[in-house]
Amino acid sequence: MRKNIMWRLLATLFAVALAASACGGSDSSDDSSASGSSDAAEETEVTLAASGESLLDTIQSRGTVNCGVSGSAVAFSELQADGSMAGFDADYCRVVAAAILGDANKVNFVSLTAAERFTAVQTGDVDLLMRNTTWTQSRDSEVGMDFGPTTYYDGQQLMGRASDGFSGSSQVADIGGSVVCTSAGTTTEKNIADAASEAGVSIELQTFEDFDTVTNNFISGACDIITTDGSALVGRKAKQQPDGENWVIFPATPISKEPLGPTYGQNDSAFADAVNWAVYATIIADEKGVTSSNVDEMLASGDTETIRLLGGEGELQSGMGLPADAFYQVIKQVGNYDEIYSRSLNPVGLSREGSANAAWTAGGLVYAPPAR
Amino acid sequence: MEEEDPISVALKQEENISPNEAPRLSVGQWLRTNLFSNWANTILTILGALAAFLMLRGVLNFVFSENREWVAVRTNLRALMTLSYPESQYVRVWVALGFVVALAGLSAGIWANWGGLPLRRLGTWFMGVGGLIALCVLVREPSVLVDTEGKALLTLSGSLQRESFGAAMADRVNWWIAALVLFGFGIALWSRFSSAERRHIEWPITSIVYVGIGIAILTLWVVPYGHYAFDDGTYIAEPGTTVAFSTQMPWTVMWALLGLGFLLGKFLRSSRYVRMSKTGSNLLWLICPFALFWVVLRDPALDYGHVMSTDLPMGLAFGLLGAGALWLLTRSDIGEAGRIAATVLLVVAIFNWVAAFFGWYPMLQKARISFLLLAFAALLAPNFIGDVAKRRQLVLGWIGVMALVHYLATMINTPSTLDLQSDEFLGGLGLTLFVAVIVVVLSFPLGVLLALGRTSKFPIFRMLSTSYIEVIRGVPLISVLIFFSVMVPLFLPDGMELAELAAVLTGYTLFSAAYLAENVRGGLQSITKGQYEAADAIGLTAAQRTGFIVLPQALTVSIPQLVGQVISSFKETSLLAIIGLFDFLRVANSVIPAQSEFMGVKREGILVVAMIYFFFNFVISKYSQRLERRVGLGER
Repeated sequence: MRKNIMWRLLATLFAVALAASACGGSDSSDDSSASGSSDAAEETEVTLAASGESLLDTIQSRGTVNCGVSGSAVAFSELQADGSMAGFDADYCRVVAAAILGDANKVNFVSLTAAERFTAVQTGDVDLLMRNTTWTQSRDSEVGMDFGPTTYYDGQQLMGRASDGFSGSSQVADIGGSVVCTSAGTTTEKNIADAASEAGVSIELQTFEDFDTVTNNFISGACDIITTDGSALVGRKAKQQPDGENWVIFPATPISKEPLGPTYGQNDSAFADAVNWAVYATIIADEKGVTSSNVDEMLASGDTETIRLLGGEGELQSGMGLPADAFYQVIKQVGNYDEIYSRSLNPVGLSREGSANAAWTAGGLVYAPPAR
Repeated sequence: MEEEDPISVALKQEENISPNEAPRLSVGQWLRTNLFSNWANTILTILGALAAFLMLRGVLNFVFSENREWVAVRTNLRALMTLSYPESQYVRVWVALGFVVALAGLSAGIWANWGGLPLRRLGTWFMGVGGLIALCVLVREPSVLVDTEGKALLTLSGSLQRESFGAAMADRVNWWIAALVLFGFGIALWSRFSSAERRHIEWPITSIVYVGIGIAILTLWVVPYGHYAFDDGTYIAEPGTTVAFSTQMPWTVMWALLGLGFLLGKFLRSSRYVRMSKTGSNLLWLICPFALFWVVLRDPALDYGHVMSTDLPMGLAFGLLGAGALWLLTRSDIGEAGRIAATVLLVVAIFNWVAAFFGWYPMLQKARISFLLLAFAALLAPNFIGDVAKRRQLVLGWIGVMALVHYLATMINTPSTLDLQSDEFLGGLGLTLFVAVIVVVLSFPLGVLLALGRTSKFPIFRMLSTSYIEVIRGVPLISVLIFFSVMVPLFLPDGMELAELAAVLTGYTLFSAAYLAENVRGGLQSITKGQYEAADAIGLTAAQRTGFIVLPQALTVSIPQLVGQVISSFKETSLLAIIGLFDFLRVANSVIPAQSEFMGVKREGILVVAMIYFFFNFVISKYSQRLERRVGLGER
C-alpha cells in the first residue's frame, strides 16, 4: 500500500515539475524582449499596465514596438533569406518605432495570419497591425479596431491574357464565360461574384488555397482570369509573366476599395495620435521634399512647417508624449513616404505616378493634415 | 583498433551460416525464380519496370527543368534552417551542436555494436549508385536551347527547341565520369572480395559511417554551394558569404568532435568505469535538450551582484536546510511526526501558490517551486527510512534537484542580451527539430505514467487517466494547438503570459502523451499474469515489480508503435504553421514564395523539405528495426 502512495507522489511530482517548466518557458521570450533592468527580471510575473495607461507609455517602458505583419505579402512584408523583415508595411513599423523610441530597429515583428490578427491586438500580443488590413465599417465598429491614415490605396482588379482579347480597357462585362480564379476564403471571392452578377455575365469561379497556386494555374492555362488586389497582380505580372505572353490588368477603376493602413485597438487616443502623426510626418516630408539624405539641411533651412515637424521649434511632439525630434528620427532613419514606397514597391512594378497613391498635389489621394 | 586475422574472421562467419539458409543463386537464376517465373509474373515485372522508369524520368525532368529556380532554395538555406536566428549568435548553435555530436560519438563508443559490413556488399552498393547515376543521365530529356540573352528558343511550331541526344550526353560528361568512377570502384571492391576466403572480410559500420560523413564535410571545402547574399537583385557568391564557406570550419570541428567522442567512448567501454559512463551518458542525454535550450535561445546577462546576494544564498539555503530536514524525516524513529511535518509543509506550499494568484504577499517564484518540491520530498521520506545509504539517496537526490531547479530558474529570470529583430527568433528546421525532440522527451515519461494509471487497480487513477486519454484522443491535434495558443492565454491570471512556443510545447506534449500511453498500454496488456505472480512470489514490492519486471517487457513489446509515434510527432510539427509559427514547411511554403526575388517559387522548396523529412524519418525507422532485432522482437 505504501509503495502505491510513492507512485502516486512521483506522478504528482512530475506533473508539477512539468507545469513549472512550462511556466518557466513562458518567461523566456518575455524577458528576451524586455529591457534589461534586473528589478523587472526578479519577479517572474510581468506586471500588466494598469488600466487607463496608454499603450504609448507601455511601449516606452518596454523599449520595443510589437508590430503585427503578414510576413508573406510580397513587397509589403516579406521575410528575407537572412531572416529580417522587409517591405512597405515593415518599414511603416519602423516609422512608428523611430517616432516613439527614437530607434527604427526597436521593432519586434510578429507574423500573423489573417485569422489571428485581430485577436492578437485584443490580447495585447501586438501593439498595432501593419498587415495589409482593409479599413471597413464593421472592423472599425464591431470588431473593435481603430484605423490610422491609409498608407496604400489598393483595389481589386482582374488579370487576363492579351491573346484572349483582353486589354487595359476591358470591363467586368467582357469576361462572360471565363474561368475566374482567386484564393479561397477572402473577400475577393465575394467581390468578383457580385461584380459579375451586376454586370450581368456568368463566370465559372474557382478558388485555390493561396495566390501562388492561383498564379500557377493561370500560367498552366487552367484559369482564364485571376483576380485579387491590384498591387499583387502588378507584382505577379512583373515577375512571373512567361516569355512571349502579355498579361493585362483591368478594369482601370478597381472593382473594390481596399484602403490599407495601421490598425490598433480602439479608445487609446495617445497611442493612436502617435501612430497617425508618424505616418503623416512621412507624407508631409514627401510634400516638402524632405528626404533622409537632406533632412539635416532642411532642419536648418526649411520652411516653418518643416522645422516645426522636425522638432526644430515648438513643443508639438513633446505635447503628445513623443520626443521633440521624433519625426526627425523617422525621416532620418526610415525616409519619407516616397522613399519608403519606391524602396519596396517600385521593384515589383508598382509606380505611384497616376495611381491613387500619388500625392494629392499630383492628383492622387495621399494627403496629410498640416503640422501646426 | 585491433586487427583480426581475416581468415579467422571468415572461418568464424562460415560457421555462423545456419544449415537451413537459402542456397546462393546466380544472378540469372535469381531473375528467373523471382521476376520471370511465369507469364503473368513476367508481364507484372515489365509493367512495374515501365512505371518505375516513367516516374524516374518525371522526377528528373522536374528537378533539372530550366523552369526550376533552385537558386531560391540555395539563397534561402539559412532561412530554411534557422530563419531569424541572428548571425552573430551562430556560435551558440555550433556549441550546442558540438555538444550533441560529441555526446553522440561518446554514446556510440560506449554502446554501439553495429557489427560490420562485408566489403563485397559495399562494392555492390557503389555499383548500384554508379549505375543509378548513369541511368539518370540517360533518361533525363535534353536541355532547352537558349539564345545569347538566355531566352528559350522556340521551334517553328512554337514548342521548345531541345539539343540533340548526342549533344546532351556530351554536356553531361561530368556525370558520366562520376558514374563510371563509382561503378568501377564498386566492381574493383566486389571482385577483390568475391573469392571464397575473402568473401566475409568486413569493415565496422561505424567507421564506414564516419568516413561517409567526413567525405560529405570535405565537399564543403571544395564546392562553394549555398550562397545567400544579394546585391540589387543579383546573387553574389563571394568567399565567406556562401553557406559552404561559412560552415566548413565548424562542420570539420564537429567531425573531429564526433571522432574524439567515439574514441573516448571506446576507451571507457574497455575500462572499469563502463557502468558509470553508461549512466552518465544517459543522464547527459536527458538533460541536454533543456540545457541546450538555454544555450541556443538565451544569452544571459547575469547580474552577479544579484546572483551572489539572492540566487546563490537562496539555492544553498533550500538545498542545505532541505537536506537537513529530509535527513531528520528519514530517521527510523520519526514515526507519525514525520507525516504530520510533511503535511504541514504541503499545506504551506499550496498556500504559497494560492497567495500568488491573489497577489497577497510577494515571493520569488522559485521559492514557491522549491517549497512545493520540498513538501513532496518530505512526503516521500518514509520510503527512504532505513540505513545510511538509503537515507543518503534521498538527500543527495534532493540537493541535485535543487541545484538544477535553481540554475534553470535563475537563467529564466535573467534577461537575454540576444538581439532579436523578430519574434520568429527560431524557425525552419531548427524549430521543427526543437519541438520534436522536446515533445518526445517530455511526453515519454508522461505517457508511461498515464498508461500505468490506466491499468492501475485504483479506480480514481484509472478514471482520471482514462478520461484524460479519451478526451485528448477524441480531439484533433490542430484544435489542441489552437486551444493552447489562443484560449489558454485568456484564462491565465492577469500579468501572466505564455509564450507561443511554450504554449505549443505544452499542448503538443499533452497530446502526444495520450497516444503514447495507449501504445504502452498495449505492451502492458501483453504481459501475462504469471509474470506478476512470479514477481510477487519472490517478494518484490509493487514499485519493483513495475520497474524491473513489467515495464521493461512492456516497453520492448511496444517498440514499433513507439517509434511510429516518434515519427508522427516529428512530421506533425508541420501543423505549427497553422498557429503562426514558422516551421520548416512553412518557410518553404509561404516565406520563400513571398520574397520579391522569388515570387511564387514554391515547388522547389517543398521538394527539398520533403526530402529532409524523409531522411530523418528513414534514419529513425532503420534504427528502430535494428533495435527490434537486437531485443529479439518478432522472434518469439
